[in-house]
Amino acid sequence: MAITRRQLFTGIAKAGVPAAVAVTVGTDALLAGEPIPVPSAAVGLLYDASICIGCKACVAACAEANDTPPDTRGDELHQAPNDLNDLTRNVIKLYKPEDGSAFSFVKRQCMHCLDPACAAGCPFQALHKDPESGVVSWTAEKCIGCRYCTITCPYHIPRFQWMGFNPRVTKCELCSHRLEKGLKPGCTSVCPTGAVIFGPRSVLLLDAKQRIKNNPGRYYQNRVYGEIDNGGTQALYLSKVPFEKLGLPELGPESVPARTLRWQRRFYQYFALPALLYAGLVQVIRKSLKGHEQEAHEREKETGLRAQL
Amino acid sequence: MPTGERETIGTHLKESGVSRRSFLQLCSKIIIAAPIGLSLTRRATAAQVARIVGKARRPSVIWLHFQDCTGCTETLLRTSAPDVAHLILDVISLDYHETLMAASGAQAEAALRSAIEENAGKYVLVVEGSIPTRDDGVYMELGSRPAIQVVKEVAGQAAAVIAIGSCASWGGVPSADPNPTGAVGVDSVISGKPIINLPGCPPNPYNLLAVVLEYATMGRLPELDEFHRPRFAYDRVIHENCPRRAHFDAGRFAAAFGDEGHRKGWCLYKLGCKGPVTHAACATRHFNELPGVWPIGTGVPCVGCTEKGVVWQMSTVETVPIHLATPPDTYPPIYSTAGQLKVGAGALVGAIAGAVGGAAWVASQRFQSSTEAGVVRVAADIAHAEKLKAKPASKAVAHSDDRKED
Amino acid sequence: MSTGTTSSAAMDHARTSNRWERNVPVYGFPVVNGFFLGLAVLVLVALALSLYRELAGLGPVSGMNDAYGWGIWKTFNLMVLTALGSGAFAVGIAAWVFRSKRMHSLMRMALLTSFLAYACGLLLLGIDAGRPWNFYWIVFPWRWNMHSPLAEVAICMSIYAMIPLAVENIPPILERLWYFDSRLRPGVESIEKRLHYFFPWIIAAAYLLPGMHQSSLGALMLLAGERVHPLWQTPWLPVLYLGAATFMSFGCVAGTTMLCCLVWKRAMDMEVLDEAARITSWLIFGWLGLRLLDILFRGAAGTALHFDRFAGVFWLEVLLVSIGGWLLYRASRSSSPQPMFIGYILSSAGGMIYRFSPTTLAFRPNPEALYFPATIEVLVSLGFISLGIVGFLIAVKRLAILPAPLSEWHDMASYFRFRRPYIRWTGYFKYGHFGENETETETSGSD
Repeated sequence: MAITRRQLFTGIAKAGVPAAVAVTVGTDALLAGEPIPVPSAAVGLLYDASICIGCKACVAACAEANDTPPDTRGDELHQAPNDLNDLTRNVIKLYKPEDGSAFSFVKRQCMHCLDPACAAGCPFQALHKDPESGVVSWTAEKCIGCRYCTITCPYHIPRFQWMGFNPRVTKCELCSHRLEKGLKPGCTSVCPTGAVIFGPRSVLLLDAKQRIKNNPGRYYQNRVYGEIDNGGTQALYLSKVPFEKLGLPELGPESVPARTLRWQRRFYQYFALPALLYAGLVQVIRKSLKGHEQEAHEREKETGLRAQL
Repeated sequence: MPTGERETIGTHLKESGVSRRSFLQLCSKIIIAAPIGLSLTRRATAAQVARIVGKARRPSVIWLHFQDCTGCTETLLRTSAPDVAHLILDVISLDYHETLMAASGAQAEAALRSAIEENAGKYVLVVEGSIPTRDDGVYMELGSRPAIQVVKEVAGQAAAVIAIGSCASWGGVPSADPNPTGAVGVDSVISGKPIINLPGCPPNPYNLLAVVLEYATMGRLPELDEFHRPRFAYDRVIHENCPRRAHFDAGRFAAAFGDEGHRKGWCLYKLGCKGPVTHAACATRHFNELPGVWPIGTGVPCVGCTEKGVVWQMSTVETVPIHLATPPDTYPPIYSTAGQLKVGAGALVGAIAGAVGGAAWVASQRFQSSTEAGVVRVAADIAHAEKLKAKPASKAVAHSDDRKED
Repeated sequence: MSTGTTSSAAMDHARTSNRWERNVPVYGFPVVNGFFLGLAVLVLVALALSLYRELAGLGPVSGMNDAYGWGIWKTFNLMVLTALGSGAFAVGIAAWVFRSKRMHSLMRMALLTSFLAYACGLLLLGIDAGRPWNFYWIVFPWRWNMHSPLAEVAICMSIYAMIPLAVENIPPILERLWYFDSRLRPGVESIEKRLHYFFPWIIAAAYLLPGMHQSSLGALMLLAGERVHPLWQTPWLPVLYLGAATFMSFGCVAGTTMLCCLVWKRAMDMEVLDEAARITSWLIFGWLGLRLLDILFRGAAGTALHFDRFAGVFWLEVLLVSIGGWLLYRASRSSSPQPMFIGYILSSAGGMIYRFSPTTLAFRPNPEALYFPATIEVLVSLGFISLGIVGFLIAVKRLAILPAPLSEWHDMASYFRFRRPYIRWTGYFKYGHFGENETETETSGSD
């Protein structure tokens, strides 16, 4: 009772394809163009690179606020991390072009994206965005140390602890333990020039736009990085030099997960397509198996040897 | 003031009864005042400096006051050890100084004239105070002659002009807005003579002493920057050498006068310290020969008294931007290096890849022959089996259990 | 029939009787030989180094760093070798969904290689994970992040390896038990009956699940966005990964079978191999077409002409795969094993480089960073591959996996009978060997 290939395909097409298409296309899970919801009490940072003096007080304050030992692994003496790492949640870097044109410092820490790629990729939700404050935090109890977050984050922020048998993933969590007590994050508490400030995201956005209005031509493209970049982030940046030079990539208005996982999400929506495929496969294989077993039994009779199914 | 034949400094000091010990102490203070940038002080020990200074002729100095507060003179005298003040005055020959000399009136004018005549072309003119230029300079007259005229006349015969204090250097207090007298520094009025500015309000007296002695001993003036300030004292900003810099770097700031941070001696930047934009040597050479006797040392933010655009232009509580023209390279770059290719691992991977590739190649070569071999073997087996079939009681059936023969 | 030299008629007969009609264990070759011992040493070294990794962390044992968080354990042993080990999926679909009778001969080889590739890959995944004690969350579906491709891969692969793949590999073991001890036969036969009842569901899962996770392996690098070079980064990445898995696994299964026949002097059924090569070549052409058209339509074709290492890797991949595919096509026409084998090697190598590139060779997180595996990392990876090969060697010599002509079965039976007589006159123990007591139920009672 062999089914021909033609019958196979027609069967699937008649039943499955319309249903599958309907389910796939009709879904509205984070489709393009939909604005990403901003958490109700979203807080964030506004960092103005043009007033940062590179004093690195925020680097020291961050380590102190988070009870992290200073990272002296560079020269065994000074707390001078070369980049974010398992002991450094916040770092000041310098963009200094060879030709002597304008230089700029940049403060790098977690951007607390509105649709974080790290949380989208984390298999067991160890990285989780708080629905109210929007702070993206890491939970040790759920993490399996797969380091996928270090790959998905477009800003390359989460860092894995490579030494020791109990590694953790380190990144800025906006000093949520201080926020609970009504204090501000460590970095913003010590900045001498007010280059980085803390506050509700909406207020910071207004402040940033006011600065742009008051100083036309001072800031790159007269815009705030993070307003819509990567779908919006809660750490906002103003800069004199191009954002890309500071290591902030131009990602466009769509968040990384929405842009790249669109078809994945549609395909697996409600598990409809896979389930359909499975049902079809079972039918096909049932018929196949019947035919195969019949042939095998015939051969068994012919050769006298036990069938190998 | 004794004039006439110039004796050497060493002789004069001995005659004045100054001990050699005091002289050596003075020389070591000069070294501290000007550790680099002066050929005079590029010696290893105070004794070497003393030898050179001792041999030099006492330089003649004429000191003029204009729109001043006499603070620069006071700084020369206000030392904690009175001997040192006298020492300074014994090393240089101060031939005319209105504050310090006994004469006045017509006697003073005569003294000036004779001082100029006797040392023409050899004396160092020190100017204290700014010079008014508005309305033909009537706002300051010396013996009924406008300051401009006086300074041009006296500078005309001088070997070098030292403008001591901010007022003489660029106008100072009198030049603060609205500058009603048109006060300017000496270098706006004099040209054609080497001018050295020693701004400060007041400046450090050892800066003056070092410059004068360099001229007296070496016959040349120290290296100057674009504002005619000697580099040995004015090439760095206070911020670079500030003893409280560590607090600045660590983010410890005094937020208000008298608060805990202020009491602990933390950085005064947030209180408006102009250290980052003020070129002066006060951070390392304090005043009155006492350590810690300088504004920041006593808990007062620097007001930038040497800088024309800072003091009396900016509010004392206004914080200054701290952008150095070229930041040092001790900051991490935007992209840092990671990972390295180790030779051992590379060799291992290469060896494995080579081994696998080689094995695959060898295997592929054997295929042609083996197929035939396989075919031949099967054919031989079939032949053998058929041969066995031909024989009746074959050895193949040695066991009692029944089994179909192939 | 002549008893001496083989006549040409016999040769012709031999050629046709090369038909692989049965799976026969490899006999006459000891399991433990020099090669096996060498592999065993590698396995032990890898296990010891894995213990060191558990204690010291991932940094001291690998070349992974902040920029390249994934090393060859994930990107090679998992992503590449499980693609080679998708034989159960690709050959299975050809055999069961498209009803290719000839592909059934390769099924057991496919299942075995798949199982070993997945088992070793998943074991190494357990060692690569930084905090493996939290793996238990996999049992709680409400903890899964269904948006994450990595969750999909981990869950799907584990379920696949533990259930459908394992279950499909049970029949050869049951078969051996049936022959080995006749007292077990009733039990074995009842288990087999129950298995056969569930087979449609299990086999269907064995095609759905790999389809899902092999494509999700491709989706993993979608989230990396522009950091993957445009010659590789595409929304079609999951489909291309799945396609690469299909032709690579054909290469692994058919190529391994050919290699085994070479090493253990078996006859090769060129009809089966021709069909396999033909299927593989069409898979390759389809995949290449999709890949190149996608690059063209995305406008990334220009980057292929730059003089940098990315273009170099790309062209290497394309060349290997296309030459391999062409060789396979020609070999399938002319039934010649040598170009066929070389074709499999080249196309699998090209496919391996393709699956490896987006995670490592074409991944540029940071212009200043680089990744190269450390020595320990390479040794552990090699050790786990050796573990798979060791398992393969044992399985292929103890179970009926390798396809062979019918005559081979009878040869094996005689071999065992003459070389390895067993105690049967006690009447108590009834240990047998393959090929024995075939039709005991039909005979009139042997002791």
